[in-house]
Amino acid sequence: MEDRDDPSYSPVSSLHLHQRHRSPSPSGDVISRGHLQVTCSGEGEEVRASEREEPLTCKLCPRTDDVLPIKCHCDVREAGEDQWAGLSRTDDVTEAVRTNQNSSSCTKESKVNSCHRPVTAGSCGGGASGGADLHLDELADPTRTVMTSNFDPETQEEEGVTSDLQELSSDDDDDDDEAFTTDPPLPPGELCPAPTVTASAIPARSKNTFQSGRRQSAPDQLVQEDGGSESELQSRRPGIVEFFSSRKQRSVSHSVPGWKLFGKVPPKQSPTKEARIIQQEFEARQVVACSSPTHHAAGQQSWRKVEVEPLSTTALILEDRPQNLPAKSAEETQRHREEYEVMVAEAKRKELKEAQRKEERKKERLRQEEQISNNTSIWTNQILPQWDHMKSSRRVRDLWWEGLPPSVRGRVWSVAIGNELNITAELYEIFLCRAREKGRSLAVTQSDEGASPADREASLELITRDVSRTFPSLCVFQKGGPYHDMLQSILGAYTCYRPDVGYVQGMSSMAAMLVLNMEEVDAFISFSNLINRPCQLTFCRVDHQQMLRYFGTFQVFFEDALPRLFLHFRSSGVTPDLYLMDWILSLYTKPLPLDVACRVWDVFFRDGEEFLFRAALGILRMYQDVLLDLDLISIAQFLSRLPDEEQLSDRLFSYISATPILSRNRKWSQVLSSYSS
Amino acid sequence: METIWLYQFRLIVIGDSTVGKSCLIRRFTEGRFAQVSDPTVGVDFFSRLVEIEPGKRIKLQIWDTAGQERFRSITRAYYRNSVGGLLLFDITNRRSFQNVHNWLEEAQSHVQPHSIVFLLVGHKCDLEAQRQVTQQEAEKLAGAFGMRYVETSARDAINVEKAFVDLTRDIFELVRNGDIKIQDGWEGVKSGFVPNTVHSSEEVTKGSRQCFC
Repeated sequence: MEDRDDPSYSPVSSLHLHQRHRSPSPSGDVISRGHLQVTCSGEGEEVRASEREEPLTCKLCPRTDDVLPIKCHCDVREAGEDQWAGLSRTDDVTEAVRTNQNSSSCTKESKVNSCHRPVTAGSCGGGASGGADLHLDELADPTRTVMTSNFDPETQEEEGVTSDLQELSSDDDDDDDEAFTTDPPLPPGELCPAPTVTASAIPARSKNTFQSGRRQSAPDQLVQEDGGSESELQSRRPGIVEFFSSRKQRSVSHSVPGWKLFGKVPPKQSPTKEARIIQQEFEARQVVACSSPTHHAAGQQSWRKVEVEPLSTTALILEDRPQNLPAKSAEETQRHREEYEVMVAEAKRKELKEAQRKEERKKERLRQEEQISNNTSIWTNQILPQWDHMKSSRRVRDLWWEGLPPSVRGRVWSVAIGNELNITAELYEIFLCRAREKGRSLAVTQSDEGASPADREASLELITRDVSRTFPSLCVFQKGGPYHDMLQSILGAYTCYRPDVGYVQGMSSMAAMLVLNMEEVDAFISFSNLINRPCQLTFCRVDHQQMLRYFGTFQVFFEDALPRLFLHFRSSGVTPDLYLMDWILSLYTKPLPLDVACRVWDVFFRDGEEFLFRAALGILRMYQDVLLDLDLISIAQFLSRLPDEEQLSDRLFSYISATPILSRNRKWSQVLSSYSS
Repeated sequence: METIWLYQFRLIVIGDSTVGKSCLIRRFTEGRFAQVSDPTVGVDFFSRLVEIEPGKRIKLQIWDTAGQERFRSITRAYYRNSVGGLLLFDITNRRSFQNVHNWLEEAQSHVQPHSIVFLLVGHKCDLEAQRQVTQQEAEKLAGAFGMRYVETSARDAINVEKAFVDLTRDIFELVRNGDIKIQDGWEGVKSGFVPNTVHSSEEVTKGSRQCFC
């Protein structure tokens, strides 16, 4: 920065000064403001330009305010000869560059409105484009942002001009001018590199950097060498250095689309990162704008904040319009910036909330897991060994209500269901063999003369069909699935064991629940004993008379517990058979998600059949408000498959516990037996 | 004011288990074919609006019954309040065709004093290679019972719309001609309503007649 008066002061830097001077103009049309540090290095000689000159240049060149932005595209050659002459010279820059620059300058203006930082330009088109890069930044096509211009061979032999806005912005530390910093996600240290950064040393971030040089051959190495020697931070930044020495090449680069939104811009390389960078840059800029003296600290702050930065922003709102549209006014620019701030703040808040929620959920999950493992050991080590002794104790019953840990569920179910029927593994084998024989003979005789369409005969065929459509989402009972054969065997053996009951649709999911939790023989024993319970037997046989008893009893408790819904159901024609039939027969495996159904089973095995009806009342209570607004068909549809919600199990069970199955001090069994007669 | 629907018809769908009742209804009401569907336990419910003529919409309330024989003790209670029915058999399953008699008897003995307009549906007609029931014999049977016959496929969406719409039109004609009357305490046919004004069946019928002329 100290080199302004250096005799070797390059034309480029003077141009840069000049441009800076123009930037304070309030008009949006004015060329962009930016901090560019331009250094020209030619054959070992380094020239540094600093922003500090800005006020001076303003004074020196007051009339530059009038200059149209387009004119800043002077040729470096001119600048080299006359520091100020370049202002009005545009001849060496192609039209494409000019227009590009125009738009980019607008962009910059809009973005850094509040910054009165003078524009810097490394070289003719390049400086402005570099400025534009601040906004376009990662969005823009890298090739576009690398502008080249022809340097006069006489003055600028082998010059590589690199401008890095970022570095420049950090240079601004000493200036009061806030800068418009384009902070990339760099550690604070990098935000404020030493003021004496040479062109080559400046980290060449591909997009914020433009470099121009006369010779293509040299620059890369040159930059890298210098960069290595300058500072480590610089070397850490990846750099793309491009030199175009010939006009041809330049024109190629000029033909690159000028506006990333509307032009043909190649796809972004890494959108997330880019969005993040933009956000960070914006953040940093804001911070700097507020407190330039503490720029460094601010930079650190913004760096620290990065963790919770919303990553979704692309800051497009801060972009300027395409060149063929009128530029934004200052107010609009300001408004957009404010809007953007609001959006960012909103996004941040949301992400913070989300993060907190995740954290809470994680904790909750951990807590639950811990509890489950505790409960598991209690069930395994204390309760199950002394089952008969403990099963009725208050403590066990309370623990039971909470739901059984999955690892002991099968064992608890098994002992809770018991084996009144004294079924043995041998017996199961016998019926299984019989079922297989039957299956084979059925396959032979099935084709014609189905004159005996008796349910019993068709059972085996029906089982085959139903097994493969049991819990289809689990994909374990379908043909070829691990439990397909087991489920089929159990159901087949059961129809041979109890031809008087046979197979009924709905049994398959009941047996499947057992298969999921216990071994094959245990599942068969539990299944047979379960179906042998009076309520299950009634529903599996579809014993209409007995079912009416159950429905009638249920209605008594329903009317008591939920009188409004009861009346609504009655006036809509919703009778218990329309939903209870399904619920009881499938033991809630159809209407409820599997995990919730498991918990209903848990307590069903604790409390017996009345719990099935109590669970029904709990469901109706939970959805009472919804159901009151529905008609018959909608109610029936709603109840046949209840919505799967978060925390459904806990919610449902809190409703169930608030619904004791009591009617005028009469218990379930009392009301049921009064229906018997 | 526009009536949301002119009438609501309750239809019942019966037939042996696994002939594809639920799949047919799902194709009609949801427009998709489910490879796997739960076996129906008791009864399932569906509904859809059908526009039989421009501006004349009928709401169909479809009761999908379990096919397994033991559920008949439950489902027989649902005949009484139905105005129409689809009686399905599987053209690849002769037994399901032979059971059509039983189903009809079952229905007729439980629908009194009302009657049901039935449509005989030969389902799974995409499985032509496995056909066990010819179209001729099915049509003959349908004729003997005074029913229409249609062959459908839920998988390939063949005649699904036609089956339901034809049946709906037939019932609509009977309602318009007064052969089927709306009655209190009978759910088979319900008249639609214009908000704020509950039409009697006669008014609605007259209104629709005027529109026809």
